[in-house]
Amino acid sequence: MAAGFTRVALTGAVLAAVLTAGAIAVANDGGSTPAGVKLSVADPYIPLPAGGDGMAAGYLTVRNTGSDADTLIRVTSPGAGSVTMHRSTDTTMQEVDSLPVPAGGTLQLARGGTHLMIMGWQKPPTVGDRLEIDLTFAKGGTIAVQVPVKPLTYRPGS
Amino acid sequence: MNLPTTRSRLAGAAALALTAALSLSACGSGSGAHAAGPAAVSKEASNSPYQGTVLTKHFDKPDLTLTDTSGQPFDLRRRTAGRTTLLFFGYTSCPDVCPTTMGDIGVAMQKLPADQRAKIDVVFVSTDPQRDTPKVLRTWLDSFDKDFIGMTGDLDKVKEAAKSLGILVEDPVVNKDGSVTSSHGAQVLAFLPSDDKAHVLYLSNTDTATFAHDLPLLAKGVAA
Repeated sequence: MAAGFTRVALTGAVLAAVLTAGAIAVANDGGSTPAGVKLSVADPYIPLPAGGDGMAAGYLTVRNTGSDADTLIRVTSPGAGSVTMHRSTDTTMQEVDSLPVPAGGTLQLARGGTHLMIMGWQKPPTVGDRLEIDLTFAKGGTIAVQVPVKPLTYRPGS
Repeated sequence: MNLPTTRSRLAGAAALALTAALSLSACGSGSGAHAAGPAAVSKEASNSPYQGTVLTKHFDKPDLTLTDTSGQPFDLRRRTAGRTTLLFFGYTSCPDVCPTTMGDIGVAMQKLPADQRAKIDVVFVSTDPQRDTPKVLRTWLDSFDKDFIGMTGDLDKVKEAAKSLGILVEDPVVNKDGSVTSSHGAQVLAFLPSDDKAHVLYLSNTDTATFAHDLPLLAKGVAA
């Protein structure tokens, strides 16, 4: 969680290292972010894909401390062919077009639930790599997050 | 010492209800029917040494012979007879639920002493046999535990075996982006060595701690 990020951040020697640690990125849309939406991203990670095809899931939490709700409408990555939003249901996965970020709440992408599906890696991921994921919100602009590739069984806080 | 033996053999009606619910249950969030399934047996579980959901209907281990990851025939009943067996149906290009479940079991298995670990077979049956060749399956399973057993082959046989356990398996769908989606119940069934029947169920999103708690009991064959 936030404490974990602080630890990671402190190990970085320079600001660039802090940025690539990427656990928290605050929306910065050139100052055009509406006053009512205040977004940040925490605990992003990609478990190392188990299969050779590189099909991966991405997990993170979007916090909105603003008073207006927002919507995650698009996810892309310069390092992957496609990033799509999916929801695991009782027996299968459904692709979704958008995901709500409630006012004063969070959008949680977590194991066994809503997640990102990442395909077409430009280079096969290994633990320690970082993949830029660009999250575009209806109101809050685009947040670029450097998402670390973690061991297969990693969970935040573990 | 709490050793319930015959207690959980009651419920005919409850077992039927559970079977119906199982066919709908798998991945955590869900429908009303899904909620009704585990709730129906939760009282049983509270008297059990197990943290998993104790089954009132003790499913037989399916009569299923497919190909293992070395390319040889694998007769599930014969090869796992008298051994604690965890059974899961899934596919390797599943990014979320399947690796999470197998990973949670793998982490819990690694915490066991070697003698207990040697008593448990973890068997993964592919619901996407066309793409999950023995080699693909081995590579994928090795990421979790090199001792995990993989079975792949005739999808109709897989469906039939799953159905006998109240688990839904459908034909995989190839999406327009080339990804594959396979619909499958994502519960794990635990078979005890005493009678080779399923006694404990782990729903999707069961955490590692629950498996870590229950695996030693399963390895010892403690009655549910």
